[in-house]
Amino acid sequence: MELGSYSDQSKSTFSLADEDHTIANAVRFTLNQDPRVTFCGYSIPHPSDNRVNIRVQTTGDSAREVLKDACQDLMQMCQHVRSTFDKSVNDYKMSKTVKDMDIK
Amino acid sequence: MDPQPEPVSYICGDCGMENTLKPGDVIQCRECGYRILYKKRTRRSKFCYL
Amino acid sequence: MSSDEDESMSEQEEQTKSGKEDNGSVLDYIMSLESVPSKLPPHLELLKTRVLCKIDAPQHTDTIQYSGAYAALGVDNSIRLDNFRQNFKVQVNRLTEDDIEFDMIGIDPALANAFRRILIAEVPTMAIERIYMANNTSVIQDEVLSHRLGLIPIGADPRLFEYPENAGNEKNEKNTIVFKLHVRCERQQPRITVKSNELKWLPNGSELPSEDIKPNSSSKPKTFTSFSCSQDSLPEFSGNPIAPRNLDIILAKLGPGQEIELEAHAVKGIGRTHAKWSPVATAWYRMLPEVVLLKEVEDELAEELKNKCPVGVFDIEDIGKGRKRATVARPRSCTLCRECIRGGKEWEDRVALRRVKDHFIFTVESTGALPPEVLFTEAVKILEEKCERVITELS
Repeated sequence: MELGSYSDQSKSTFSLADEDHTIANAVRFTLNQDPRVTFCGYSIPHPSDNRVNIRVQTTGDSAREVLKDACQDLMQMCQHVRSTFDKSVNDYKMSKTVKDMDIK
Repeated sequence: MDPQPEPVSYICGDCGMENTLKPGDVIQCRECGYRILYKKRTRRSKFCYL
Repeated sequence: MSSDEDESMSEQEEQTKSGKEDNGSVLDYIMSLESVPSKLPPHLELLKTRVLCKIDAPQHTDTIQYSGAYAALGVDNSIRLDNFRQNFKVQVNRLTEDDIEFDMIGIDPALANAFRRILIAEVPTMAIERIYMANNTSVIQDEVLSHRLGLIPIGADPRLFEYPENAGNEKNEKNTIVFKLHVRCERQQPRITVKSNELKWLPNGSELPSEDIKPNSSSKPKTFTSFSCSQDSLPEFSGNPIAPRNLDIILAKLGPGQEIELEAHAVKGIGRTHAKWSPVATAWYRMLPEVVLLKEVEDELAEELKNKCPVGVFDIEDIGKGRKRATVARPRSCTLCRECIRGGKEWEDRVALRRVKDHFIFTVESTGALPPEVLFTEAVKILEEKCERVITELS
């Protein structure tokens, strides 16, 4: 859900249901990395509601697009983390089997 | 007028022995003489926990 | 104007033109110019990348996330994706059947913490959710026994099951695992310890009738589940029957004449609902400790420094002529107890304790449903799904 104005799309608050610090803090990080962003932050209005509000203000681009790009960035980072992790685990398993063979 | 009351079985609180009692019987375990008897759990109704 | 500069000008123009399509190359070009500092001066770099652990408190604990934080110095603080790809590293230190320790280097705490939170609260597992108590004459109360049963890790891959909400809370072979527990301690016998190995898997679903059995009805009575086929006929489970992951968990103790008869239904869920669904025993990280000797520490002082540290971070090496010098041998085992910088200002000037802000030593201990390395990849996948959800919601 987006709360913003039609006349100025560069400032918006996005309200994500069923989310918490997990994604809000991660997205805040990727938003901060984007040079188009002048301000971003998030808040959890009430601890009993499963909801976070993410505020995005940009230098001019649509806040919605900037947030989408931030999510895209985060997703690509995750994909890279996953492939790197899988590779390291495989390397470790390989080296371990080699070592085990040496002992025998 | 009342139908013949059925005997009910109870479990002794001390030795776990099953006792069948009719109205008027002394409430006491036949095995060990313990005087606390528990009713058995019903197997009829739906019940769930957690 | 020399010809050299002429060339560079035209090159810049070219870059600017093509930059309309490719912003990255312009940025790269600007960064490659000599007048643009691409690195922070060393004192700022230190504050940006290290937590300084002083005697009274850690300093500079925050990470500088804002892309324009150092704009006044002409330094770009944004991590572009290719940059991240270049710097990100994972190094596995230990991997066993149910725990893993690995170093994750070049990542912001915002992401590392997201992975940790997802591991604890959002990676699904199977856990016992409903107990149908047919008989319990033991001293342990129904609700206490039920709670104990709920916490038993179930050795079943949750990815093969669905959430019960998807089937309208109907219990079928795709979302429910049924276990039976029936133990009795005979009279005149010694006490029995009931362990989790007494939980027997019922691949055909519940055996308890859910309504009163009519005395002369020939049809099979309705039970608490409606399985359309036996679970052990499914290829996933035919070879490996489902059982609790650990078979030696004590559930109850029975005295002579006592009996427990019950049925336990396990479903899929996540740790946010109840900790029994959490797939990890622990999932945590710490930042890499960095111990630096700012001055040479020699002879008796070296000996003193070595003895100060309770975890043996420092070692002593011989530098000849009967002299000794302290060295940092095992910085990883530093717990930041700060014992080594106690004892006056002079010690604070000799030893610097720091933590590397983007280097995490991650430890994941699985409860057994999934191997720990799979748990981590699942956690990362869940974060990806969350991003995807936000993107589709905004489109």
